[in-house]
Formats: sequence, structure tokens, C-alpha cells
Amino acid sequence: MLRIDLASRVPVYEQIANGLRAELVSGKFSPEEKLPTVRTLAINFGVHHNTVAEAYRQLANEGWLELKRHHGAIVRERDRPVAGPDTMERFTRPLRELVAKGLADGLSPSSLAREMIEIARRLEGKA
Amino acid sequence: MIHSLVDTRIIIGITIGGVAILYAVLFWFMPRLTRHDLYFAVTVTPGFRDESEGKSILRRYRLELIIFSGLAFIAFAAGVCSFGVGFVSAGLFIEFVASFIAFYLARQRVLPYAAPPTMIREAELRGQNRVIPGGWIAASGPFILLAACAGYLWIHGAQIDPGAGGQPNGLTIRALTVYLLFTTTKLAALTLVLYGLSHWVRPVYAGGPERAHELKFRRTVSAIVLGVEYYVTLQASWIMLVPRRGDLMTVALLPLVLVFALVAIVMLARLGQGGSRIPAKEQVSPTISALPVGDRTPDCYWKLGIFYFNRDDSAVFIEKRFGLGYSLNFARPTAWIFLLLTLMAPLIPVLAHLSQFLPKLGV
Repeated sequence: MLRIDLASRVPVYEQIANGLRAELVSGKFSPEEKLPTVRTLAINFGVHHNTVAEAYRQLANEGWLELKRHHGAIVRERDRPVAGPDTMERFTRPLRELVAKGLADGLSPSSLAREMIEIARRLEGKA
Repeated sequence: MIHSLVDTRIIIGITIGGVAILYAVLFWFMPRLTRHDLYFAVTVTPGFRDESEGKSILRRYRLELIIFSGLAFIAFAAGVCSFGVGFVSAGLFIEFVASFIAFYLARQRVLPYAAPPTMIREAELRGQNRVIPGGWIAASGPFILLAACAGYLWIHGAQIDPGAGGQPNGLTIRALTVYLLFTTTKLAALTLVLYGLSHWVRPVYAGGPERAHELKFRRTVSAIVLGVEYYVTLQASWIMLVPRRGDLMTVALLPLVLVFALVAIVMLARLGQGGSRIPAKEQVSPTISALPVGDRTPDCYWKLGIFYFNRDDSAVFIEKRFGLGYSLNFARPTAWIFLLLTLMAPLIPVLAHLSQFLPKLGV
């Protein structure tokens, strides 16, 4: 199940793309499997279909999906990409902000690190 | 003659009057049939309806409903007595307006207690549960039956059309063809509704027992729409194949409308809007937000509490906030196609009638 928050400052299309990516990374969808059509997902979320189409386009650009007209989005077989020098840089800033918020809310650095490792393992299907 | 025993006007009067009374009764119980956190089409905290303010608003609403509906019924009866059966449509409209005024006044009293609904939305990625009761075979049944009737008329037209002095003049066949077109348009509109119910409804819950209840409610509504399709077709077949039986046999089918409406309302009322009255057999999913869920639509998109207009929402069908069943999102072009088709059906006989005069005018 995918969940979004319309009151969040994060754009809706980004929330949808992030949620779907998490499902795809964890292997919940196998290659060639169909995702709901743009219209169906937009109806279920109660958002405009352009919002969902934008999320699908983003995932298609990342190589997760193949978009076929009138056939919806199909999950693609995707090789694990090699992380470039700027890959870590892209993640550090949002991660830093998130960790800062966790620390400000009283979480300990060790519990945050444990949680992060746990999440990564779950997504990779190792937990 | 059966005609002398039963006046067709009495049958029509009783049926339409019955529907009008049924309408008022439904409005009486409606505040208790909607979702727990929607009260008079306003999102409120789930316990509001049982608080003293909620109960007081309900009491006042019911008192006003009795007064307005009573006045409307008197106007309805007086209109039928003065203007005849032709007044029944206007009478039904007056009855609706009276009930709506009572609802609108109550809604205005609830608005100060409105609570913002949760902005969290959920969607299931697998298993869309697109079910049409009986599948497309059941849905195509009325069309097959109607096509069979049309075929029969085509082959045996001369026997059905007595004409003047026993000679066929084509008038009966022409009238029946117009009626066939009228029924086909009605069926097309209903089939579109059936398709829309399985494809274009936005679910309020994506999982848990609430989702199962919602699906049960939606399946029941679809079954009722399918039932209406079959009723319309059977009535049309009767009228087309037995035209010489006269008005009475046709009108005799009318009280069935009342029975059908009563059964449909009882079925839906038992489930509650969106299946909200079905007792939960399993653990209800934990609330994901402290805010009321309602129907996950902000109040500002509901005009007068009954018309939903939201350009950012792709759903065509939305659960009614005050009523049983579904309403349209009037910001979607598809919703207007539904309306056009529904309005086109009664216009067909008028257009056909006008087309008779056009050749005489040299058009």
C-alpha cells in the first residue's frame, strides 16, 4: 500500500515516486509486472493524473519502468547501477537534515544508525 | 373491462406519492446512515453526532423536515388534483426542494463545528477489485433482450401496426422505434454508470476491514444499477411487444418501481454509506492521523454540500456526503457526458416528434 500526505511540503509527485521506488527496490514487483495505470492511481489518491504521470516519468527516467501508451507502466529488469562520485553527495544533504531532526527530537546517534541499516537491509530483502 | 375497474391515474398517483413519502423518510434517517465523521455533509470529529450539539441539530432538522415535507406534500396533492397526472414530476421536485431546505439549514448549523479532514491518502498497488456483478455477460443481457425485441418488431411490424381501418400506416411502428431509441439511450447511460462504478470511484480506504465494507457497498450499488437496467428493458419489451393491451397493463408495472426503490433503499441503509454500518468482524486498522478521515475530500470542494467540484481530483464518482450511493465530480468532463446521456433519453421522443413537423415546414 502506498501512502502520501497532501499537507506535506514534499511535492505529491515526489512522494509517489519515492514510495514506488521503495517498493521496487525491495523487490515487491517482479520484472514485466504491470503497475496500476496513471488514471487508476490518480483516482485512488484523489490527485490530478498529471501528478502521477510525472512520478511515473521520473521512475522511467531512472530505468525502473517502461511506459507504454494505453498499457500503463511495466516494471523493467534493472541492473544495479555503479555509484558515481556525486552519488553519495546527492544523499548526504537530505540525510544530514533528517539526522539533525532525529537528534533534535531526542533520538541517539546509535539508534539512528541502527534504524538506517535496518531499513536498507529490509529494502534489499536481507532482513 | 379492466380499465373501468382501476383508474390508471390512481396507480400513478399512489406510486409517485409513495416515492415522495419514501424520499422524506429517507431524509429523516439519512444523518445516521452517513459515515461517522461526516454530519450534514460537513467533516466533524467522529463523536460529534452523539454530543449534545449534534443531537440538538438533528432534532431541529427533523422538526423542519416534517413541516417542509408536509407542506410540499399538500402542494403535491393539490397540484395533482388541479392539473392532473402531468403535475407528478413537479410534485416530486417540490418534495425534493423541501427536504433539501431542511438539510441545508442543518448544514449551516454544523459548519461552525467543522474539523479539517486528514490529508493522508492511500492507494493499493495490486488488486483493484473491479467487479461488475455477473460480469459483462450479465451487463449485456438487457441489450440482447432489446435487440431481440427490435428484431421481432422488424419481422412482425405489419401484425403489430393495426393502422386506420386495419391497414398499417406506420405510426405505431414509428412510435415504438422512438421508444426503442429512448430505452437504448437510458441503457447506455446506466451501463456507463456501471462501468464507472467499477473503474472511476475513489476508495476512501485502501486496506483493512473498512476497504472490504466499502467494496461490499459498491457491489450492492452496482447490483442495483444492473437491476434497474433489467427493469427498464423488461418494461420496454412489454410495451413494445404487447402494445394493444392498452395503458393499464403498462401502468400496472409502475408500482414495481416503488417496490424496487424500497428494496434498494433498505439494502443500502443496512450497509450504511460506504459500508460504514457493517459491524467490524476483525480489528479495525489503527488510525493514521488524529484528524477525522471523513471521505478524504476537503469540505471546500462541496458546493451546497451536494455538488463536488475538484479539478485536482481525477475521480469521476465520489461517495455522496448526504445520501446513499455516489455523486459526480463535476470538474471532470466525463461527469458531464453522464449528465448529457441521462438528459438525452427524455429528449429523444421530443426530437422525434419535432422531426415529424420539420418536413412540413420545408426543412
